[in-house]
Amino acid sequence: MTTELVATDQARVTWAKMRLDAVFYPKSIAVVGATNTPGTVPYDILANIVKSGYQGRLYAVAPGKKSIDGVPAYRYVLDLPEAVDLAVIVFPAEVVDRALEQCGQRGIPAAIVISAGFREVGVEGRRREERVKELCRQYNITLIGPNCLGVINPDPVVRLNASFARAMPQPGPIAMLSQSGALCTAILDYARQRHIGFSKFVSFGNKAVVSEIDLLEYLADDPQTSIILVYLEEVAEGRRLVEVARRITRGPNAKPILMIKGARTTRGAAAASSHTGAMVTEDAICEAAFAAAGIVRVESLEELFDTAVLYTNQPLVRGPRLGIVTNAGGPGVLATDAAIRDGLEVPPLGEETRAKLKRHLPATANMSNPVDVIGDARAERYQAAIEAVLADPQIDQLVVILTPQSMTDIMAVAEVVCKEAQQPPKPITASFMGGVDVAPAVARLEEAGVPHYRQPEDAVRAMAHLQQVIRWRETPLEDGAPEIPEENRRRARQLVDKLSPGLMPETEALALLALYGLQLPPYRLCTSAEEAVAAAEQIGYPVVLRLQSPAVVHKTEIGGVLLDIASPEEVQRGFDLLRERLERAVPGARFDGIIIRRMIPPGYELIIGGKRDQSFGPVLMVGLGGIYVELWQAVGFALAPSTRRQVRALLGQTKAEKLLSGLRGQKPGDVDAFVDAVLRVGQLLEDCPRIAELDLNPVIVGPVGCGYGVADARIVLA
Amino acid sequence: MERSEIERRVKQVVSRVLSVGEEEILPEHHFVFDLGADSSQSVQLVDAFEEEFQIEMDREAALGVKTVGEAVEFIAKYVNK
Repeated sequence: MTTELVATDQARVTWAKMRLDAVFYPKSIAVVGATNTPGTVPYDILANIVKSGYQGRLYAVAPGKKSIDGVPAYRYVLDLPEAVDLAVIVFPAEVVDRALEQCGQRGIPAAIVISAGFREVGVEGRRREERVKELCRQYNITLIGPNCLGVINPDPVVRLNASFARAMPQPGPIAMLSQSGALCTAILDYARQRHIGFSKFVSFGNKAVVSEIDLLEYLADDPQTSIILVYLEEVAEGRRLVEVARRITRGPNAKPILMIKGARTTRGAAAASSHTGAMVTEDAICEAAFAAAGIVRVESLEELFDTAVLYTNQPLVRGPRLGIVTNAGGPGVLATDAAIRDGLEVPPLGEETRAKLKRHLPATANMSNPVDVIGDARAERYQAAIEAVLADPQIDQLVVILTPQSMTDIMAVAEVVCKEAQQPPKPITASFMGGVDVAPAVARLEEAGVPHYRQPEDAVRAMAHLQQVIRWRETPLEDGAPEIPEENRRRARQLVDKLSPGLMPETEALALLALYGLQLPPYRLCTSAEEAVAAAEQIGYPVVLRLQSPAVVHKTEIGGVLLDIASPEEVQRGFDLLRERLERAVPGARFDGIIIRRMIPPGYELIIGGKRDQSFGPVLMVGLGGIYVELWQAVGFALAPSTRRQVRALLGQTKAEKLLSGLRGQKPGDVDAFVDAVLRVGQLLEDCPRIAELDLNPVIVGPVGCGYGVADARIVLA
Repeated sequence: MERSEIERRVKQVVSRVLSVGEEEILPEHHFVFDLGADSSQSVQLVDAFEEEFQIEMDREAALGVKTVGEAVEFIAKYVNK
């Protein structure tokens, strides 16, 4: 599908809309390969389209049948009385290509291939899928699947259930995209129970032609959709996903994207040849990418819908200050803990609010936040507390907790919450804890569109996710990247282009870093002991001696680095010693001399790493350096190039921020200088696609105002 | 048995099981794509061929047969053993 795309964003969106309208709003459909055996997919698909009340013209392609359940049937696609907008192909995989070819010949612009038996089943299946792609290219067919549940569009204009899901969901503002078909049926059933409606529901399966990204582009402009939920196992075009998601999640028509990313296990770690690369798991990269795209990552279906229900039913308000009204102390404590953990606040209430509460609540009640209205509270007390807390200017949103005690009038409290929730601007959620006793009240709340959660922690988490959505919308995408002169960038590309794949010689790596403005201590390559002494005198003691030979990848393993060399005699001896060590370790190896560089004063040891991910492109890694990188694995990841804010956030996620803040009386480190270094490395990775891996470890950060020094640099070229 | 006789009787069976006119059935026809056999009818066809020709076929291999012509060849191997 991407091959068809044109350059501008607007044109791309229009293109996606035009092509996918045939899938979501077809005026005519043919179910290709339908049978008249109830209980089979080829029959149920046709039956579901009929049952859903589809508003267009429907045909079956079913050799040997004149009609199926009143739907006229034809032997071949070529026999259809018109070129339908959409073919839903349910033939077994082995003949899908023949059906698809006829669709192309008949001029059908879109198809859904429900059938399984493609790349998910091995070599033969992959061959079939390639053939499907080829036919779609040849005939310009927009295709969903194969190996999927199908497509549902509850919009009354079309009422389309081209799937084998049991029931058509009600219309609503939530779009759901899922790579797993079977999961979809569970989602639909779950959503029904929670009175959740959908704008579009797509199981996209193997995404041979239309990917989740194409669908996101379509949904960006879909007036029925206000929030997009995605279940994804594989991100094939990571960079494009980030770009498209950024467009959707920001701007005047911004729509949140919530995603469950399955298949979290680390793959291909063995392929990573440097220890930095090996630590970059695919999941960590996804995490970084979602952060850069404004995608909210969630862990479960429940969390997905918990958040979507809040977004679609209550006002979106900037403000982390949570008010809690409860008739039980324990749940109030749990909600408070959850709020703090998830980045919300539970501030004390204002004097005026406390005074109001005192008038309505018994003396034993807790008038601070959480407000405990006590176990015997009836609806009036709840109402007084809710209104008082909502009116407090220190509070941005409210969660109402109820436990069913013998005197609790559960339904009456539910009615109070329903009434209060109709009055914006502050969002209200409810958690009526329990099971049987609270069930009717929960149903009433959900019918009335009050987001209800089984546990108060779930409510808090949904609220926290929406704060993340708001923060993302307000975050600038650029915040002052360091200026790298164009001439330096050109020279850097030239430098990289002339080198062979593999580990860059250290001198070249240092030269490359210097072109990007990284702070390197003065250094010189020396090929004789005399030259080394002269260089050390000029650079200033103490110095470091580093062996240079193409035969040695890890210098420290053969003792190829000498630290803290403080006199000409030591330089002389060191030069000879390094040469001897090389000969001993790798007899006959080429000796290219030594690099003399000034010893960097002690400081905070951090790491800046990078690698190139097949899907997401250049990725930065930042964290504790030196030996601690392996000990603690206290590192974080970001897509490159990055922003100051993102790098700062990474330092916060790792232990680096705390370290740099100056522990036990040490001077705080130069965070600004380090952040600047990370941004420069990110730009280097972006500009030089041949850099496969990069490892600056350690980067020794001095006190504020003193900058940093790159002590060791390894760069691997592809 | 002559190949033409096998083909005639195969077409009869296919016509009966799939409710397709005998004259519409050609050797190159795919049971699913051209004649509309679903998975249960494929099993029925194998049963019907065994009964028609009084043979016992390797069922997995028999279910892998795609076209009428292939079915004729496949059955001939059993009938003319």
